[in-house]
Amino acid sequence: MTATALQTKVHPALEGSLLLEVTSVRAQTNSITSISFGHPLGEQLPSYVPGSHLVVQYGTGANSYSLTGAGSAPTEYTISVLRVEDGAGGSLAMHALSVGDRVQVSRPRSAFAPAATAKHHLLIAAGIGITPVLSHARYAAEWGASASLIYVHRPGTGAHVEDARELLGSDLTECTDRNSFREVLTTKLTTQKLGTHLYVCGPTDFMDSVLEQARDLGWPKGLLHSEAFSAAALDDGQPFAVNLVRSGVKLDVPAGVSLLETLESAGLNIPNMCRKGICGECAAPVLRGAPQHRDLYLTDQEKADNTTIMCCVSRSLDKELELDL
Amino acid sequence: MRTASQSPATGTGGEPGFRGVISVSFGAADASADHDADGVSRQDLRFASANPEALANLRSVLAHSRVGVRLVLAGPPADVHAAASAVAVCGLVDEEITILCDEVGPRVIFCGHCHTSTTTDHAIGTDVVCQGCATTLTFTDHFSRRVGGYLGFSAHAEEAA
Repeated sequence: MTATALQTKVHPALEGSLLLEVTSVRAQTNSITSISFGHPLGEQLPSYVPGSHLVVQYGTGANSYSLTGAGSAPTEYTISVLRVEDGAGGSLAMHALSVGDRVQVSRPRSAFAPAATAKHHLLIAAGIGITPVLSHARYAAEWGASASLIYVHRPGTGAHVEDARELLGSDLTECTDRNSFREVLTTKLTTQKLGTHLYVCGPTDFMDSVLEQARDLGWPKGLLHSEAFSAAALDDGQPFAVNLVRSGVKLDVPAGVSLLETLESAGLNIPNMCRKGICGECAAPVLRGAPQHRDLYLTDQEKADNTTIMCCVSRSLDKELELDL
Repeated sequence: MRTASQSPATGTGGEPGFRGVISVSFGAADASADHDADGVSRQDLRFASANPEALANLRSVLAHSRVGVRLVLAGPPADVHAAASAVAVCGLVDEEITILCDEVGPRVIFCGHCHTSTTTDHAIGTDVVCQGCATTLTFTDHFSRRVGGYLGFSAHAEEAA
């Protein structure tokens, strides 16, 4: 990792970022490792809202990882990373880090904040989804807020299980299989006092089923919060054309090729990061045409406005889209 | 004044774990009439006005209810807004509350000078005398959901010498 530590080209998502030093690396489980970053001179780092994430640069790429701390006046930023052998390479790069390595790290970004008006925080995590939820639990413990956690993990493979037990005591419910989780979830969703907000993080299908069941049981959207880790696989989609008004270029986007890839191969430099419709970096302004929105970033209202497209995953409902590029 | 169709004999509280529709009517209003709760269990609460006792009663019903509940508030603006403000403090979000507000009826004017609330039948844009500091207040449609009232400010202040 020493070679990448010396790189000078900063990823576009990391503008205004910090150059931090790895201060500790601890194995949580066989496949999950916690990594802490500190200021090289030991200075305090910017505080962050619970549930925030860091963007960490590796090689030419960058990836987001949830911070696991409570966030007030930190001297270290700690992330826990699940090794994904067939991923884009970010998790393998994180697992290759050792103490003393220098890494370009964004300032914390908040997209999964606790509701200030909540009377109770019902936290739900599956697998590596524990990381942002642990941040919430630590924050609640630090500030005396009411919180409970349902943590679904396979026996022996759960990260931060001891941390969760210590923080939450009897307010922690551990589930080690889907069936027991279903029962616990139904009970919890029907017995929460008013003013309870729900926060869920885990695999996409897990989050979708939790949110769907909550809605079915009368939970309004305003009480539901989720943090996407990975997007569901998308189909290839239909071919369409884009007319780049400012560049005066017209491009064909074939099925199976993303708009972002098409723009990049035409030589355009589009800021991007996750390439999964989550981070919001690759937003492009739409002048005409209706995008087929497939991202998790834009709100329903923003999608209906049809003025912005996330070009990494979204396509077009019309034969042609006109973009202000 | 409270005659709830499903109220316990004690007159406070509410059904433990309730997740249906709570219809709250103030004055002559009938929150249940406008709201078709097909098959959903419901509780009807009726109050003469949104006085402290009525709001305490409402809060107690909410304390026994669970997420999934929906609240309907019907009646004169002053009462409905006071109740909406009280239930927001209990953590209810907009999607959980339906407001059926009479088009006419008393409004609360919150004095920007002494913070006293004055209830009036006057129309928006007119003047009212603050019952706290006797300042002649004018008010516009500048409304606070937290206070449940309209901002009243010294009338003609800009013309004073």
